[in-house]
Amino acid sequence: MSEVEVYIDQLKRRVIELEKENNLLKEQMEKVASEREEYLQNVSHQLVAPLNAIKWHIENLTGARVGYDRGIKVLRSVYAQATLAVHLAKNFNLMSNLEADHALTKLKEPLQEINLCQLLINLADDFQPLAWDRDIEISVLKDLFEQAPPILAMKPLISQVFSNIIENAVKYSDSKTEIVIEGKYVPSTDSVVVSIRNRGVSLDSNHAKIVFDRGFRSPEAKRKYPAGTGFGLYIARRIIEIHEGTITAGTRNGWTVFEVTLSVKSLKGKARLRAN
Amino acid sequence: MQTKTILLIDDEQAFLEPLVDALEFEGYRTLKARTADEALEILKRERVDLVTIDIMLDPGESLKNHVDSHSTGLFLCEEITRKYPQIDAFCISVVSEMRTIRKIESLGIRFLRKGETPLRTVLNMLRSRLTGIAYSSERDRSY
Repeated sequence: MSEVEVYIDQLKRRVIELEKENNLLKEQMEKVASEREEYLQNVSHQLVAPLNAIKWHIENLTGARVGYDRGIKVLRSVYAQATLAVHLAKNFNLMSNLEADHALTKLKEPLQEINLCQLLINLADDFQPLAWDRDIEISVLKDLFEQAPPILAMKPLISQVFSNIIENAVKYSDSKTEIVIEGKYVPSTDSVVVSIRNRGVSLDSNHAKIVFDRGFRSPEAKRKYPAGTGFGLYIARRIIEIHEGTITAGTRNGWTVFEVTLSVKSLKGKARLRAN
Repeated sequence: MQTKTILLIDDEQAFLEPLVDALEFEGYRTLKARTADEALEILKRERVDLVTIDIMLDPGESLKNHVDSHSTGLFLCEEITRKYPQIDAFCISVVSEMRTIRKIESLGIRFLRKGETPLRTVLNMLRSRLTGIAYSSERDRSY
């Protein structure tokens, strides 16, 4: 074989290799595109649902198809659906930011003191009308929670963590059940622990860790609510990580329990560092 | 005239609530099914004049291994047109995949998009289908 022939042979092999690589890349790109398409479809599905409900409720009110008493309830539903739409829009915004900037550095807001007990009471009030649609009561046990000191954190982000957990709890709870929110200060670790528990779609022990993975949805969750994106708990985990806290999921006596721990001291230290 | 019965197959309370308010105001009897197997059970035992079907839906325990929750509604459209050809059906959904919509329309089922279709239009279409009186789009503006 002449030198030129050897060279041509090498080139041919390289072309075949490149073609293979190219095909692999194409496949990967198609996979990403189809995942993205599914995500956007689910986002649109989730957002259209509350907006459609609001529009139709308003048509019933303006068309005088509901009486006064029912009208008050309809307005409550409109409020609940608007709450849901705002919550979802915030999530999608956070998700776009997370995709563009993994650490959410551009979103970093000043740390502010947050009374977690009050925040959770407000969120419970916000989601209660939605929960009532399925006879679910949300209660906040205040005794210990009220005594917990405030934490320093980025309020809009922390608020989204808890609203994601509560929204999930409402969605996946059985009708006529209770969602219980508790919190307490743990002096040994100088942290506040918040737990949110509900009964409904069970959490498989194999899923307890991966439930916070990007896009993860359990088969049962997918079957019951096909339009979910699997991003709510991922967003929650990312935000808690930024705050150097922990978030866990598990089951206890038939309850599905989500627990968030936020350290008081480390954030104070962080704030001092920033100030310096 | 006998009260007409409408079966609403959808798992979203938010969607059902205003629709039930409006249909009951119009004098219809409404039944609700949250899963495909629940819907098929109701159809076995109740006299139903019309159904509305969502696409993305929980198939339910007995169908969970056979039906993909992303296209449960399509399965239902096929089952209902085959088993209950006398029942009128509408599909009301957010799904915008043209392939799915074409399949549904090829079964003779009208597809209405959630979020874009005014409740008034839905009511007019259902009424027109149940009474046989032609539907006038003029009336849609009256709300």
